[in-house]
Amino acid sequence: MENKPSNHSEELLEAGKLNELRKLLIGLNQSELDRIKLLLNDPHEFSKELSILLPYAIRKMIEQGEVSVDNLLPFVEEAMHKSIQKNPQRLADILFPVMGPAIRKAVSEDLKRMIAAINTSLESGFSPKTLKWRLQALTSKRSFTEILMANSYVYHVSHIFLIHRDTGILLHEEQAKESRALEADLISSMLTAIRDFVSDSFKSSGAGTLDEVQVGDLNILVEQGPYAVVAAIIEGRPPADYRLTLSETIEAVHFNQGTDLEKFDGNTSIFQLSAKFLQNCLIKQKKQTKSKPPYLVIVLFVAFLAGITYFLVQRQLQHNKLNAFADQLERTPGYHLTSRDFKGNTIYIKGLRDVMSDNPNDISDKMNIENRFVHFDFESYISTDSGIIIQRAIKALSPPASVQISLRDQTLIITGEASEQWKTKALTQQPYIYGINSIDTEQLTSGTNLQWIIPAIEKHRFDFEINVVNLTEQQQVNFDSLVQAALFLDEFNQMYQKRMAIYVQSFTTKSGNLDANLKVANQRIIAFISLLEKAGVNSKLLVSQVKFAEDLTESVNLRSVRFSVFDNKQANP
Amino acid sequence: MIKKKIAMLGAFAVGKTSLVQQYVNSIFSEKYQTTIGVKIDQKKITLNDQDVTLMLWDLYGDDDFMKMKPTYLMGSSGYLLVADGTRSETIDVAIELQKMAAEATHNAPFILIINKSDLTETWEITAETIQKLQQMGWNILITSAKENIMVEDAFRHLTQLMIL
Repeated sequence: MENKPSNHSEELLEAGKLNELRKLLIGLNQSELDRIKLLLNDPHEFSKELSILLPYAIRKMIEQGEVSVDNLLPFVEEAMHKSIQKNPQRLADILFPVMGPAIRKAVSEDLKRMIAAINTSLESGFSPKTLKWRLQALTSKRSFTEILMANSYVYHVSHIFLIHRDTGILLHEEQAKESRALEADLISSMLTAIRDFVSDSFKSSGAGTLDEVQVGDLNILVEQGPYAVVAAIIEGRPPADYRLTLSETIEAVHFNQGTDLEKFDGNTSIFQLSAKFLQNCLIKQKKQTKSKPPYLVIVLFVAFLAGITYFLVQRQLQHNKLNAFADQLERTPGYHLTSRDFKGNTIYIKGLRDVMSDNPNDISDKMNIENRFVHFDFESYISTDSGIIIQRAIKALSPPASVQISLRDQTLIITGEASEQWKTKALTQQPYIYGINSIDTEQLTSGTNLQWIIPAIEKHRFDFEINVVNLTEQQQVNFDSLVQAALFLDEFNQMYQKRMAIYVQSFTTKSGNLDANLKVANQRIIAFISLLEKAGVNSKLLVSQVKFAEDLTESVNLRSVRFSVFDNKQANP
Repeated sequence: MIKKKIAMLGAFAVGKTSLVQQYVNSIFSEKYQTTIGVKIDQKKITLNDQDVTLMLWDLYGDDDFMKMKPTYLMGSSGYLLVADGTRSETIDVAIELQKMAAEATHNAPFILIINKSDLTETWEITAETIQKLQQMGWNILITSAKENIMVEDAFRHLTQLMIL
């Protein structure tokens, strides 16, 4: 019996020693080992212990970056999905406290948007611009509201601030490239102060916060989050759905940096990570200013085009006209063109010209072509054109008016009536008339009578310039014809013992100095008679006569010389 | 970049605005103090090779501290209590303000600045009062905004307390 206490003591002593030994060996005492055994053997106890550690462990892993929220998201989503499928009512009960304010806010935002749209519609009214937008809506298959929005809202988000909600400290700022820098720290704090002031002053609840400040065209939209707010500085009026963009941004910032925001201690560097979300808010929409057509350029271009067209048309018309002239020249007897070139509006014509041909400038005058636009370079030649040959023959023969000349097979055919003397002379001229082989005078009747001589003389008229009695080329031809007729008259006098004579008439007027007028008229007659005498006309045939215009029934050129045949024997018996 | 919010509290005309006037970047008019009750300034300092931006919330001083909006104190990492050495009642206001500020800022560090050291001959606050407050654990600095004495030190000292 005495040994029992002793044994018990020894057992206790042994146990104590064993425990001490175990502690020395593995570092755990018996009670700790028993607890570990319990955890290993009892799942209920183990899970209870684990449930305490697990949230802390997950949080630690997220903080250390071993597990990201993104990794957990699928499991959480799946769990929620199954939970909702299993018992939707439970989720509804959970969400009920937050759904009310959320729905109210959403409805409120929608109402604001709708009112803004209606206001804009009313403001726009039925202006031509609105009608144009309606037409655009019809043609582009877009709703009128879309067109209206697109045309009405012109805005430019210049700065976006991420502000810590409690301290008002600027966590991060993004600004549009073209915007000027602002005192972002001070503005952020002041904005927070104003928010607090409004909140305090009007004792508003958390649901109603300062979310918009409007100063003229400048709008500051503020979107609240649990720990931070985003504030957008907007020039102009942003679209109604821009608030949704801000809302999504603040959600994204909280989702990604919620812990940083919650534990914010003044270090703002870390919020550089939110830059990408904030940058998405830097949007702008410039009003599509319809570019006006460059009227001035168009007008100038049209004018230029019209000028060019006018120039080309005028040039073509001129060329046509000059070509027609050249064609006419080509058709004119005595011309043979070898080339025609244009330089600008001038035609350069080269070729051959018979001296008997018409003056080219006379032809151009008839076609209303100024001489400065035609340039001739003609070589002389002898034309075999029938017209030119006849002209050549007339010049050579100076036929009386009673004679007609034609050409047939290089034979000059002379018909009519002429003196024997002229006929003889004509036949001798044949070798000098180029282009004919013979002269046929079979149909020319000989005879000299006044029937043809008088008209052949009296038909001639010579008009002169002031104090001039020079013959032009054409007048020279007439003069020769006149001389020829005068010679016939002389021959007639001799043949028939007649004293027929020619009044060489000059004209003047009774007005003014009569003596001076008569003197001038006489001088002209004397000069002309002198010319006739030099040409071989018998001076006895020529009698000067000055006539006054006032005495005549017809009007005459005072500087002209005319002729009248009379019987001098009767006048001076 | 470290940014800290600091509040400046004190009775009316103790010199809060004068204390910061020459050292801060300010874009806002002082009229904000009388309209919304606060004017915000910014001061950048370098402490232990670290740049710190202090956002100074200069609260409107009113002898009736009940009018003070505690909302403006929220989120402050520290605050400066300012009293006027020539007016003993401003210490009383400071003591009351400190109670409110301690609650609003969750016992953030603070410094009591007793301003107008250039007018010591007319001081009403006694050394005993100062000693008593120091015994309560208050950090106290005597400054002169007018003669720029210990002003910069006050900001640096408070920043040191906040960062540590």
